[in-house]
Amino acid sequence: MNSNRLLVRNFAAWFLAGGCLLAALLIKPVQDRVEGRLQLFSVDPDMLYFSSPEGMKKLAMGYDSVLADIYWMRAIQYYGRRDEADKRPVRYRNLSALLQITVALDPDMLDAYRAGANFLAEPDPIGAGQPQEALKLLDNGINRMPHEWRLLFDKGFIYYWFVKDFEAAGQCWLSASRIPGAPAWMEGLAASALSKGGAMETAKTLWQKQYQESDRADIKENARNHLFSIEIAETLWALEYFVGKYRERAAAYPSELNDLVQAGFLRAMPVDPLGTPYQYDPKTGQVSLSPQSKVTYLGAPPGYRENFLENLKKLVESR
Amino acid sequence: MAILAIAGNTFRENIRDRILYNLILFAIIMIFSAVALGQLTLGHEDKIIVDLGLSSISIFGMLIAVFIGISLVYKELERRTVYSLLAKPIHRYEFILGKYLGLLCTLFVNVTIMTLGLVLTLASRGGGEFGSYLRLMPAVYLIFLSLALTTALALLFSTFSTPALSAVFTLFFWVAGHFNRDLLDFGRLTESASFRWLCNVLYYLLPNISNFNSIDGRNIIQSAAYHQSVDPAAVMWISVYALLYCAVLLLLSIAIFSRRDFK
Repeated sequence: MNSNRLLVRNFAAWFLAGGCLLAALLIKPVQDRVEGRLQLFSVDPDMLYFSSPEGMKKLAMGYDSVLADIYWMRAIQYYGRRDEADKRPVRYRNLSALLQITVALDPDMLDAYRAGANFLAEPDPIGAGQPQEALKLLDNGINRMPHEWRLLFDKGFIYYWFVKDFEAAGQCWLSASRIPGAPAWMEGLAASALSKGGAMETAKTLWQKQYQESDRADIKENARNHLFSIEIAETLWALEYFVGKYRERAAAYPSELNDLVQAGFLRAMPVDPLGTPYQYDPKTGQVSLSPQSKVTYLGAPPGYRENFLENLKKLVESR
Repeated sequence: MAILAIAGNTFRENIRDRILYNLILFAIIMIFSAVALGQLTLGHEDKIIVDLGLSSISIFGMLIAVFIGISLVYKELERRTVYSLLAKPIHRYEFILGKYLGLLCTLFVNVTIMTLGLVLTLASRGGGEFGSYLRLMPAVYLIFLSLALTTALALLFSTFSTPALSAVFTLFFWVAGHFNRDLLDFGRLTESASFRWLCNVLYYLLPNISNFNSIDGRNIIQSAAYHQSVDPAAVMWISVYALLYCAVLLLLSIAIFSRRDFK
């Protein structure tokens, strides 16, 4: 009698444990099914529940700092997750709002102004393509931290590179150079921008300075990509120029780029900044970056090509 | 002496009720923040750890103050242990003050352990000398003051109401205390003199919890995270405010509890 009762009790315990395990295992597929149905009626996934920085600050109830961190991490994920950004109708519609909320909650978060402005100013698809929003964000930071020369440097950078307002860029750098602690080269940069407005040498110096000065990996990588892109653009234009010269002389395109070396136009076979040879089409004479290249090519600023080719032509003719 | 005995008893009871289990959750948050933040953010890791740590201290403390505070007196009445207590040569004010100090002591131990946990997390990341962690102290102190006020508020409601209602009242006053300054703005916007007067009265009547969040317009947790100095005079005035407000709440609690008929 007792052993029967024990058997039943054991069976019940195993039955309960099995049932519990089964139910637990079923939760995932059921949740996925519910999720699938919900998605059919879901609202815009890029919706921002709170878009007012002032409203958010009021609702923070003293937890401003931790909320600022949450918004900052959200802004980074929003910007950094390219796969999700590609699915949105407008890639970075809410980036500016996320950053403005972050700095409203924590007005001393220097990285949010600096990196945030970078995210906003870079053209699509690298960034939001909103240099004016980037300038607005930096202005907030400059009002809060007038002693911080880096913010003025970044503002000048955005004017110079993205807005192409060289006068405004020079004025920003001049103001930055007057702040105690600003590096000595800032004054030279300002003078260069104010006098030569638009010179590529200034731009290269800028990207180099940003590469050297920044302690942030993402900003360094972006600066390096820009420097590499300028170098690639210049090489491609020079190669196309020499292919044209070769054709004038031999009445045909070179069969490979090495022919340019043989003909004395080049000293060595050109490779991209990370060592991959360029791609050449002997039928059209077109030179391009190899698909195997590891460089993120961002293109060159408009108008620079003509300027570069003119200088190259003068250099070749003078020899 | 009776006050200390009741306080000690309340403290032991809280420990037996496993109040300190929240420390496990706090430890998980700290370990998570120390390990995972590098993956989620760009820079400011130490600042985010300070923010998370101090905000957790404040939130856990507030939850303990509210949900233990509301049952401090009610539980004694429900279990009828208050009869055997008051039968002894104990004044009712001693009972109230003992209960209050007991919970405050629990909160103090809790806040101290969590602060040590935060300091250890920061130290494990190799950040600065021990002296540099003293920058956390003004924020921890002000958080503790706000908890002392919240506890007094919960205790007041506990003397005449059920735990559920007391929780609603305390949370309502806690939230209202953060938006107190808006009352003044409402008053200024209106043309009605009586409404302006009412807003002014409510502004001083309701607990100004937002006093404990910022000094000179700077959030106190942010000041700790950015190593910014805090004006000692401002801290002193906030302490005086907390002391006075807690005294008023405790006196009200004593007055209500003294008038209660336990027959």
